[in-house]
Amino acid sequence: MGTWEWPLIIFTVLGEGAIGILLALWWLDRTLLDSALYKKATLTSGVLLALALLASLAHLGHPEAAYRALSHLATSWLSREILFFLLTAAAWLYLFIQVRQSKGNRRLAAGIASLLGLLGILSSAMIYVMPRVPAWDSVQTPLFFLLTTGLLGTLTLLVLDRKSLTPAQTTGLLSWSVACIVVSSLSYILYLSMLNASGTEGMATVQFLSTSSLFWTRVVTNWLAPIILLYPIIKNKKTLNPNLLLTILVFSGIGEFLGRALFYLSAVGIHITALK
Amino acid sequence: MSKQLGFLLDSEKCVGCRGCEMACKNEYQSDPTPRWRQVFQLNEDWYSLPTRMFFSMACNHCAEPQCLKVCPVEAYTKRDDGIVVHNHDRCIGCRLCTMACPYDRPQFNPAKGKVEKCNLCYQRIDQGLKPACVAACIPGALQLVEINNQLDQKTGILKTLPGLPSRTITNPSIRFIGPKQGKQIRRD
Repeated sequence: MGTWEWPLIIFTVLGEGAIGILLALWWLDRTLLDSALYKKATLTSGVLLALALLASLAHLGHPEAAYRALSHLATSWLSREILFFLLTAAAWLYLFIQVRQSKGNRRLAAGIASLLGLLGILSSAMIYVMPRVPAWDSVQTPLFFLLTTGLLGTLTLLVLDRKSLTPAQTTGLLSWSVACIVVSSLSYILYLSMLNASGTEGMATVQFLSTSSLFWTRVVTNWLAPIILLYPIIKNKKTLNPNLLLTILVFSGIGEFLGRALFYLSAVGIHITALK
Repeated sequence: MSKQLGFLLDSEKCVGCRGCEMACKNEYQSDPTPRWRQVFQLNEDWYSLPTRMFFSMACNHCAEPQCLKVCPVEAYTKRDDGIVVHNHDRCIGCRLCTMACPYDRPQFNPAKGKVEKCNLCYQRIDQGLKPACVAACIPGALQLVEINNQLDQKTGILKTLPGLPSRTITNPSIRFIGPKQGKQIRRD
């Protein structure tokens, strides 16, 4: 069974949240977007990205030599991940400069930062797609990482400043959030059934998840609670209550952290089964 | 790569004395926790008759080493003779190799904040000596061999034993001579 990897949980979830915000900004910027929201969202994503990068260092035995992680781009997804995250940080700096200028090309800057970030997230996910661990060795791993990006990005943007968004922009963000939750929950059912049929290690992962209280807490916080709270807003087009939005973000955030913790905890690797 | 060196383990001869483990520790003065070489006992349930058998395993210097592939700092290199060498100085302790190896052979040493593993005593091999574990094996169960078709075609040479991960993941450079099972005499 895997271990509780705090630095990796914080790095991946916060990093995905930060890039999700940038992606959502870029997507919304097709139509007129309030510059105050742009500044606030850019700053939030920058803080999250910085915290994520700092947390990633805590995972290393020798963080002072972390720069060396760039040296094996040919085959190592970890090298590629670090490269793309560093490029995203540089692109974020460019975006930060652009949003502070009245005629800055913020859409281009947000686009560059988002795409580099997306490549970083995909590289991040590909690190875990390894034949030794059936629970990770599938398309579900990149999908999980991308869904976290979409959900946290859209919800954070809504919480930051829903008032300056047009009804169409708000509906768009809400639809993306709901889509991420629905796809996440349905794909997880598929993931568990595929895993259960994939051999001893896969079955051990399913067994661990189904009997873990953390998993059932995740089911509630990550899928049930947000969808129940979002449903009346979508259905009746009710006015958005800031406290309700914050509650949904908090539930989703806890759910995503638990989901990522379980991702590491439930990893059962193919191993020697002889007696030691 | 001109050849592929590896281990041949005769499970019939291995008595589980752990002399190979100790020889490795003595050679490198390594800390107690990471065990570059480790002796395992085969589970009796996998055989039709009850028997007590062992096998010794260190890094398998795989033909397709996952550790080398995933390492972000190029700490792993594969020599011309197939030995997978871990450069301790380059390691930053990300532990990705420990996740990727199905044999759990690269091991994290918390005291040093780095990963360690068997380098097949390449310094000794370069001097024409046997690896420390092979030299110390009293019953002669552990041998250094060249892994090739000629070896694989010999009678009694096995590519795996029950309880080991599928070879398809890394193509390990280890071969076995399987244990012979004793007769069970029933008096009824």
